[in-house]
Order: sequence, then C-alpha cells, then structure tokens
Amino acid sequence: MKLEKGELSSTQLMFLVAGFIQGSLLTLSFSKEVVKHDIWIAAIASFLLNLPLAFVYLTLALKFPGQNLIQINDNIFGPYLGKLVSLQYICLFFMIIAANLWFVGDFIITFFMPETPILVVMIMFTFICAWAVRAGIEVFARMSFLLVLMTSLTALITFALLLKDTKFSYFLPIFEVPIYDFLHGTHILMAIPFNEVFVFTMVIPYVNKLKQVKSSVLYGLIIGGITFLIVVIRNTAVLGPISNIVTSPSMETVRLIDIGKIISRLEAIVAIAFLVTMFLKVAVFYYATVLGIAQLLKLRSYVPLVIPIGILGIIIALSYESSIQFIYTATNTYPIFSLPFYVVLPVLSLLIAKLRKLPKQKERKAQ
Amino acid sequence: MIFLLMSVFIIIVLFEAPNLVRNKHWRELVVFSILLLLAFTLALLQTYGVRIPNPGKLIDFLVRDLLHLNYE
Repeated sequence: MKLEKGELSSTQLMFLVAGFIQGSLLTLSFSKEVVKHDIWIAAIASFLLNLPLAFVYLTLALKFPGQNLIQINDNIFGPYLGKLVSLQYICLFFMIIAANLWFVGDFIITFFMPETPILVVMIMFTFICAWAVRAGIEVFARMSFLLVLMTSLTALITFALLLKDTKFSYFLPIFEVPIYDFLHGTHILMAIPFNEVFVFTMVIPYVNKLKQVKSSVLYGLIIGGITFLIVVIRNTAVLGPISNIVTSPSMETVRLIDIGKIISRLEAIVAIAFLVTMFLKVAVFYYATVLGIAQLLKLRSYVPLVIPIGILGIIIALSYESSIQFIYTATNTYPIFSLPFYVVLPVLSLLIAKLRKLPKQKERKAQ
Repeated sequence: MIFLLMSVFIIIVLFEAPNLVRNKHWRELVVFSILLLLAFTLALLQTYGVRIPNPGKLIDFLVRDLLHLNYE
C-alpha cells in the first residue's frame, strides 16, 4: 500500500531542495557570531563538505528505489533495530519542526509584532504548514518554484539596492579567526541547512524519473548555496563589524535601504520572502515526520496524523524559554548532537547495504 | 481557558474522526486518538503552568554534561 499518491517531477524536486536550503537564510546568524566576517569562506567550505555527504544520501535513497527512509532502515538494520533507528530519525525531524516553529514565532514578535503572544504566530504558521502537508507533497512541491523565485529575487534586488553602501574592505583580514572557530562555524552551517537535505530520503521515492534525481538535487543545492553566498556577502559588506552583534543581520541590512527617501523600510517584504521558504522547510520536515510515523505503524494514510503532530509541535515549541537558550543550543550543542544522524548513520547504512548486498535480495523478493 | 482548549480539541475530533469511522480505518483512528490525547494532556498541563521538558535542554544535557563534547 502506497502512502503517497502524488508524484514529483525532477524540476519540482530541484526547486524544493533550493527552497529548503533557502529556508535557513534567517538562521545564518548562528554561524555569524562565531566566524565573524569570514563567514563567506565558511559558507563555501560547508557547501563543498556537504557534497560527498549528499552523494551518500542520494546513493542510499537510489539503492532502494521506491522506498523511503523508514523502509530502507527496515531493510538494512532488520525489522527491530531498523524501527529503533527510524524512531530516532522521526524524533529528530519532530524536534527540528518545534525549533523552527519557535524560531519563526520569536522572529515575528521580535521584529514586527512585539505585543502579540508567540502562540498566535506559531498557530498561524502551523496551520498553513498542516494545510500544505494534508494536501500532499505534490502541492507544495509545485508551489516551490514561485517561492524560490520570490526569495532569490529578493536577495538579488536588495543586494542591488544596497550596492552604494557596500564596503568590500570589511572582508579584508581574511582568515583572521582561529582555525578552531572557523571549523566550528563551518560545522554549524553544515548542520543547520546543508546536512538537513537528508530528509529528502523521505521524498525521493515519489519522484517520477529516478535517473534525474541526482542532478536535480545537486542543482537545487547549488541554487540554495548561491543565494546563501549572496546574502552573506551582502550582510558583511554593508554592516561590517556590526553584523556580528545584531540579532538578525539580514533584517538590519535591509533596514538601511534608502533610495531617494522613496524606497525605504523594505524589511517587511524581505521578512515575508524569507519566511515563505522557511514555510517550505518546515513543511518538508512536517511531511517527513507524519509520513514516517504512518509508515512505521503501517497505516493506510498519513492525513489523520497531521493535526495532532502540529499541536504537539506547538506545545514542544512553547517550552523554549528564551532566544539565548535557543541560540546556545543551535551553536554549541546541536551540531555535535546531529553528527550521528547526518554523518555516522547514513555512511554506516550504506556500508552495511554494500556488505549485505541488499538491493539484489530485495529485487528477488519483489519479483 | 480550559473550555476554549476543550472546544478546539472537540472541533478537531469532529473534523477528523467521522471520515475515519466511515472508511473503517480503525488502526488510524487508534493512532490518531493516542496522539491527540497526548497533545491534549500536554496542552492541559501547559495551561496549568507545568513546564514541559524542552528538547533543546535535553540536547544540552546530553552533549555538554554527559559527553563533554560541546563547542565553547
């Protein structure tokens, strides 16, 4: 019994990956505090370091065509250990949903609606995500093209409008930060947007042409990475040393746009454009969690689980206390915590699959 | 507050459950009820002011206090 009836084309997958990476544009400040103005090198380094890992994820997903992460785990680790591994992944995805919901709520109440309770923002955001997930992966994948276009254009246009304020001498002492801090910043950038591409092992089985999956994920990563680079360069070149202190460098940068006193105060538009891809990211994680639970418990449909998981996500998100605690976790402990999920387990599964020669047996069974 | 919470959950049940019963998706109904019950309990506790355990703190405890692997 197939849980998902929709199908993706490879172009839609490409834009979904791009939007997914762009969804982390607002969380760039985590790494910014550590690597300071060298963040553009860290962004390039994390992108390049992520490529072999992305290759591992894709090989794993394509080794078992038509099976998602839960089924792959069942095949590789056996029915009991596999269920345990899958449960850990579902918990990780669920925690990422809660963290992102809290981040969105905190962002909105910090910059736009300081008097509004954070719960209201979270409920509205979750409602949209739940609606999209209920409609199925095909719907928000089809929409992703527009959203990615919106975010990329916003990044480019704000860069163009700020060209007169840029000062490239802010970059100048290259590699001023110690190598330890540089590795730390690169690791944060890897853990928060780039390695999260792993979640697409839940989506790839529903792509119609499996041959083009590799190239479309790669192009998506490149689009996302270039947007990252543009935003990072813009923030550093405009703000300079201030950008290491402020809460959200993107917002502060865009606030400076002032063309003849007519085009000014554009930050609301930019915030919308960035939140829109954040929605895409949360929706993908939401979908992966719900589909994972449905697959784990062998249900016939994942739709009834969407609303309970959304409510649970809001409840867990409300248990965050302050943005300081959130940023501490995201910069200092989360990268280490996510290492086994994004690096150790996928490589280990691929090795075990190679050693046990698994896909061949599966084909015989299927025939 | 509690009345509001209960009415929201009742609306969700009325929105979701009839379809499941009509299609005889009993297994889905059980999982749905368990998850919704869990959510209701946690939300009720939260309205009474009980602190729900936070995953961020859990990660902090695991990585910093147990394994001592965190970045400075």
